[in-house]
Amino acid sequence: MLSQLQQTRVMIRANLFSLHRRLAISISMALSVAIVVCVLAGFLAMAKGFETALASAGSSLVAVVLGGGTNQEAGSDIPASVLRTIEATAGDIGAARDPAGNLVSSREIVVPVDVQQGPGGLARTLALRGMEAAGPSIREGITLSQGRFFTPGSREIVGGDRLAGEFGLSAGDTVRLGAVDWMVVGHFSAHGSAFESELWGDLDAVRAAFNRQGQVQSLRLRLSGPDSLKRLQDSLSTMAETPLTALSEAGLYAAQSGRTASLIRSFGWPIALLMAIGATAGALNTMMSSVSDRTVEIATVRALGFSPLSAFIGTWVEAMMLAAIGVILGLAASWIVFNGWQASTIGANNARMAFQLTVSGDVLATSGLLGLAIGILGGALPAIAATRLPITAALRARG
Amino acid sequence: MTQHIAQEPYIALKGISKAYNIGGQAVPIFSGLDLCIPHGDFVAVMGPSGSGKSTLLNMLAGIDRPDAGSLRIGASHLDQMGEAARSSWRAHHMGIVFQFYNLLPILTAAENVELPLLLKPLSRRERRIRVERVLDLVGLGGRERQYPGVMSGGQQQRVGIARAIVCDPGLLLCDEPTGDLDRKSADEILEMLCFLNRQLGKTIVMVTHDPQAALHAKRTLHLDKGDFVEERRAA
Repeated sequence: MLSQLQQTRVMIRANLFSLHRRLAISISMALSVAIVVCVLAGFLAMAKGFETALASAGSSLVAVVLGGGTNQEAGSDIPASVLRTIEATAGDIGAARDPAGNLVSSREIVVPVDVQQGPGGLARTLALRGMEAAGPSIREGITLSQGRFFTPGSREIVGGDRLAGEFGLSAGDTVRLGAVDWMVVGHFSAHGSAFESELWGDLDAVRAAFNRQGQVQSLRLRLSGPDSLKRLQDSLSTMAETPLTALSEAGLYAAQSGRTASLIRSFGWPIALLMAIGATAGALNTMMSSVSDRTVEIATVRALGFSPLSAFIGTWVEAMMLAAIGVILGLAASWIVFNGWQASTIGANNARMAFQLTVSGDVLATSGLLGLAIGILGGALPAIAATRLPITAALRARG
Repeated sequence: MTQHIAQEPYIALKGISKAYNIGGQAVPIFSGLDLCIPHGDFVAVMGPSGSGKSTLLNMLAGIDRPDAGSLRIGASHLDQMGEAARSSWRAHHMGIVFQFYNLLPILTAAENVELPLLLKPLSRRERRIRVERVLDLVGLGGRERQYPGVMSGGQQQRVGIARAIVCDPGLLLCDEPTGDLDRKSADEILEMLCFLNRQLGKTIVMVTHDPQAALHAKRTLHLDKGDFVEERRAA
């Protein structure tokens, strides 16, 4: 056993210390692994960032009631009569009430609006959410970063920090949304969640400006406890003449993020795997070249009595070392390039949703493992070839 | 009984047949080859290209197996051993000296010589002592840390010889050991082989094209078309 270890150590050393003889092809193998790792990490970081943005937007203590049989705000409509019924219902329906006995709720609509990105910049579609005064406080983790929240009944808006930074919105600015001007009175932080991609204004002011009088797409309710959603769903099923759907805010955003994240992954994985197949072929070529380069050395030590296993491990370790170097380079590049990179996509309300790419631990681990797999697979066949080299090569070849 | 064993040849080939498959056709190299080499002999094998010199050397080294016949070296029947057993036998009973030295360029002279010792249950200290001893023996004491790349051909071949004898094998197989050397270096190497044969009792089989090299052997066998056609004994 000790002898086997010593033989293997010599073979590994012989392989690694002779890398300079095949520097170009070794570098190309490491770089091809690095590119695969970097591309996969980029896609996974995108999916992760999107999920993080939406997942952190949702609270399990907030319910979102939607009408019209949909489970998305975009196609939802809750008739006024239904809202009056809900608000008038006494007793425990699963929702929290204020000291006066009123439901802690916010009726809301979302309107896509075009906002110019800086002077002369491109117009981007953002989500303008009309909400009642309780809207910001119902949500969890919302804090004012600058200014104040909008005054009910006025044409005032607040924007998420992410938008404020990107569009240069400051308290006191005037922004034209639709046909009227709106005063920016502050911006808020939502810890990087999807809320930061929205503009918030008063419900009535938004409805009036966009001719949506009387329309309510969603009703946000603070639940009386973590287990109250079922009670709310049961209550709604008995009272409404129109189908209502009550989801936890966390569930609503998780469903949205799940679809988009899996779409990103379904693009990312095939691309990365196709590239990985190419990189594996490259690794195979590199390692075959390595075995060919060391034919005399391998045959010589085999002629001295070294085991085939030592030749196998020596070649395999070289492949894995080169892949590991590629993995380190790829992960470092993905971290530098992608981590914290601001990206955006079209969200559920046909409006722009900004998010931050997140090169998290699991992204690094998954991408890194794919890179190492390239080394393992690409090195295996040449390692087997190394064990099958004719020992007679040592006797006839010039060293 | 003891007397009988002592008289047995150290290397005995009987009825050896060997053919290679070339382009789908079996090309015979040996057909019923016999050879006996006593312990302590120094045999040079000469012959034209394709006469079977390399095949003979490969079989004696346990690298190749005969198709038929028996091949015994010492008490080991190589024709009946599997690859792993022959590999182990090589590590313990013989040393090979290559034409082009076959040193690992990334290892120092001492590390190259140490390679066969890694197959034995020896401590690092024991290995170092043996390596120093054989390097002194071949006249390279003090050059343990030199790399092959900075050594002359003659010096590299001395390292190759040191590597071949470091495990103290009974048999040395030399494949054109002077084929890549100038005359002076070649003579030094041949003198060293004579020393190993006469003073240390090593049995040596040397394949060579060089008649002058063959003169250093105790006897010279000429191979042609797979058979020994002439034998010359040193005066």
